[in-house]
Amino acid sequence: MATKRHASDNIVGHGDLTKRVGVEQIRARGVDVEKLIDLLIDAAGAEFTTYYYYTILRMYLAGNEDYKEICEDARLEDRAHFELITPRIYELGGSIPKDIREFADRAGCPDAYLPDDPTPTNILTVLLEAERCAIRTWSEICDLTLGKDPRTYDMASRILQEEIEHEAWFIELLSKERDGVVRPSGHFRRGTPGEAPYSKNLGFYNP
Amino acid sequence: MPTFPPLNVATDPKTYRVTFILPDGSETCLEVGEDERLYAAACRAGLNLPCLCLQGWCITCAARVEGEGAWDQSLSLRYFPQDREAGFILLCTARPRSDLRIRTHQRVALRDYRISRKLPTPRG
Ligand code: FES
Ligand SMILES: [Fe+2]
Ligand SMILES: [Fe+2]
Repeated sequence: MATKRHASDNIVGHGDLTKRVGVEQIRARGVDVEKLIDLLIDAAGAEFTTYYYYTILRMYLAGNEDYKEICEDARLEDRAHFELITPRIYELGGSIPKDIREFADRAGCPDAYLPDDPTPTNILTVLLEAERCAIRTWSEICDLTLGKDPRTYDMASRILQEEIEHEAWFIELLSKERDGVVRPSGHFRRGTPGEAPYSKNLGFYNP
Repeated sequence: MPTFPPLNVATDPKTYRVTFILPDGSETCLEVGEDERLYAAACRAGLNLPCLCLQGWCITCAARVEGEGAWDQSLSLRYFPQDREAGFILLCTARPRSDLRIRTHQRVALRDYRISRKLPTPRG
């Protein structure tokens, strides 16, 4: 029987099902749990809307099959991010909105609309800025949870790693398309479309 | 979808005096060109203000204009007439159209205002 008790355990009574030690422990370490839940729901909303909008953006990259394939990886990986975040929201005691309109309205990053003039340059610009918003979002969640909430931190850092790769891909493509300048992302292709190696805990490419 | 002009337009023919008031009460006064976004101008002056989307959506950069003032917010992807009525400004995508006095760090105030008006907003 362990003798070391953490003070915050005292506020979850024996057999009490209304509170979670898994939540109270991170609260005791200084996480504003309600704010974290709100940020995670905003971020999940952004991943979900991005998944939706990338579906359209990808369609309009017709004829640029290389761009389409990269967009498809980013699209499916955003869906993987939504799938990864949502269980954590519930685990922390939150829930996603009952109405999908409310969910989309509170997304932390913009609707990635198809540009009026859907040239590859314009579409790649929308994709790039969407990834940049995602990087800033997940960096903030990493900051808020570092050293306090290892479970959310681990999740956020996995998503962040993929967002950083997505930005590098779109810089590479837009740089060549718009400016004729080669700026390699440094990455090779995913093994399967939208593989999401970090957020699905798969092996990542390291020959 | 707005087309974003270059970040810094040092050769703007017209400039305005913009004062940023930080939460600690300190004030920084800048000359800002009419095509320069206020957030970029603040960065240029070394102010480290919050931002996230830089597209006028997330309200992370929200600030509030004190007294009278005019600004162009047409680069923002989501900005409501009610936001303007209450003096809220999204610095990342705002360009000055008059001299301005601006209180920074108003994200929570704008979020709560939008919730009270049943307008869409991120909640975190
Ligand atoms: S940084 Fe998102 S609205 Fe300005
Ligand atoms: Fe994502
Ligand atoms: Fe992404």
